[in-house]
Amino acid sequence: METLTSIINLSLLASMIRISTPLILAALGGLYSERGGVINIALEGIMLSGAFTAAAVTALYHNPWLGLFSAAIAGLLVSLIHAVASIRFRANQVVVGTAINILFLGVPPLVSGALFQSTGSTPQLPREQTLPDWNIPLIDRIPVLSQLLSGHKPIVFLALLMVPVTHYILFRTRFGLRLRAVGENPEAADTAGVSVEKIRYAGVLLSGLLAGIGGAYLSIGQNSLFTRNMTAGRGFIALAALIFGKWNPLGAFLACLFFGAAEAISIRMQGVVAIPVQFIQIIPYVVTLVVLAGFIGRAIPPRAIGQPYVKEK
Amino acid sequence: MKRTGILILLCVAISLPACSSLRHHDEDGGRKRVGIVFDIGGKDDKSFNAAAWVGVQRAEKELPIKLRNVEPGDPTSIEPSMRAFAERGYDLIIGVGFAQAPIMEQVSHDYPNLNFVIIDGLIDNPNVASLIFKEHEGSFLVGMIAAKTTKTGKVGFVGGMDIPLIHKFETGYAEGARYADPSIQVFENYVGVTDAAWNNPGKGKELAKAQIERGADVIFQAAGNSGLGVFDAVEETNHLAIGVDSNQNWVKPGFILTSMIKRVDVAVFNTVKELIEGRFSGGVHLYGLENEGVAYALDDYNRSLISQSVIDEVDRAKKEIIEGRIKVTDAMAAK
Repeated sequence: METLTSIINLSLLASMIRISTPLILAALGGLYSERGGVINIALEGIMLSGAFTAAAVTALYHNPWLGLFSAAIAGLLVSLIHAVASIRFRANQVVVGTAINILFLGVPPLVSGALFQSTGSTPQLPREQTLPDWNIPLIDRIPVLSQLLSGHKPIVFLALLMVPVTHYILFRTRFGLRLRAVGENPEAADTAGVSVEKIRYAGVLLSGLLAGIGGAYLSIGQNSLFTRNMTAGRGFIALAALIFGKWNPLGAFLACLFFGAAEAISIRMQGVVAIPVQFIQIIPYVVTLVVLAGFIGRAIPPRAIGQPYVKEK
Repeated sequence: MKRTGILILLCVAISLPACSSLRHHDEDGGRKRVGIVFDIGGKDDKSFNAAAWVGVQRAEKELPIKLRNVEPGDPTSIEPSMRAFAERGYDLIIGVGFAQAPIMEQVSHDYPNLNFVIIDGLIDNPNVASLIFKEHEGSFLVGMIAAKTTKTGKVGFVGGMDIPLIHKFETGYAEGARYADPSIQVFENYVGVTDAAWNNPGKGKELAKAQIERGADVIFQAAGNSGLGVFDAVEETNHLAIGVDSNQNWVKPGFILTSMIKRVDVAVFNTVKELIEGRFSGGVHLYGLENEGVAYALDDYNRSLISQSVIDEVDRAKKEIIEGRIKVTDAMAAK
């Protein structure tokens, strides 16, 4: 019993939220891109660019908010490469995404070499130069919720907020309708007078913005520096969460929480339960396979995903 | 068509890092040529690789050598980098880290006339010097300091990759802590089981936070870049951490109790010096407490955190370990 309570408790949930935050942002980002019909496996690379930019700008100008802003811009610019290549030049979207991922394994060490005479990591920031912990006035007084939701970094609240916002945009606004239309049936959308190119650009750029912020959470929120390849596959897990959540904002959010919970539990099980570490660490992935194969059923992607749109003359 | 495109792209991408990191110069003015291949952590991990980097840089300054270095971006580019040095006939090729041992075993076999050095690995070929550190002994001492400092009677250990080498740190630390306080509780966690475990500060921080929630107030990290996340966790919660490999007391002043220093820099420098003086010899070179190969760090950053009585006690234990009166388990030898 004691073992169980030392694994499952409130701090586990708080830890789950912290771990899920970058995943949620990246997954929601991916959602905008993929709902519009552009596969975005570049999330990992975009997150890396955001993480590095945030840490580097903060190290240089000592202002984490400026760092956060720059990370969003960096994510936007990287996704612009993706958009131009895959929408304007109709390149294979998987190849473009892979290229971006590989490119941003290499770019941060190169730039950090020029800026900080290091080859991978940025200088460690003092604590007051990372993003602050926010306590939410009202929630602060409610016993359980305060432990769960208060004292997180601002990006955590942004991620939580983006879930209903994305749902609203996708299903209640004209832009959302058009985005879904160009992802399902671009010909029909085009016939109706919607510019497939423009809408797709918007989707991909939004994905870069959000994934860039998700990356910033890693380097100036959760941690206080950038280290080489610090996303450690989180971009791909976000992508899995997106598919797992059937390209739905709420579904993707729950899937991210699920991955976050699995990771948080595996962290707490280590050393408490007499199971080898290797087994504990495969739990999230095994559970994913089982759930995907057995319970969720087929995840149906947007119909036009991965296909460049060629306007008929 | 699409598939072929992806394949070609992947092949190009994989081969790029290997060739991009080497620059070709041949004008070395008769100086001995030394090549060093770093571990995945990279030379500014402020820890293990950083120590090796300090050692070769000192050698470059003080000895007539020409130094080149490679930082492999991923494990697959270690071998081509090492072979590139060998093909160009480098006088000494240094491999940093246990992961390079199997590769160097093959390469040193293929180039019997060149000299090789492996740090943290054991290779039997006569042209390879294996630099082995008694991390368990140094960890024993910092374990004692942790046990003497904790107020909760609980201390933590966060390792990087779950491998025998890091178990050496873990068991030494736990034994030292129990030697100082038999009733102490030691929590032990690892970041992961692949080499990504050295570069995941986010997970390092979460592991440390989980240990802190269970009551640990001093945490020893042997986790490369992931250990920097442990430092963030103790700073946030106002507890203490213990650094590793390099003296890391400066990284978060006031929050780093001490560091288990592994003098990779001294060992590397000595080896290069032996090469220059023609005394290079293969086989095992042991670095332990007796020759200051491992130690605990005491400087202006942490002097106020450790009391004189603790220092005296630890130094007494150090003497007894050197004299063989205290036996510290070597987790690698035990297996």
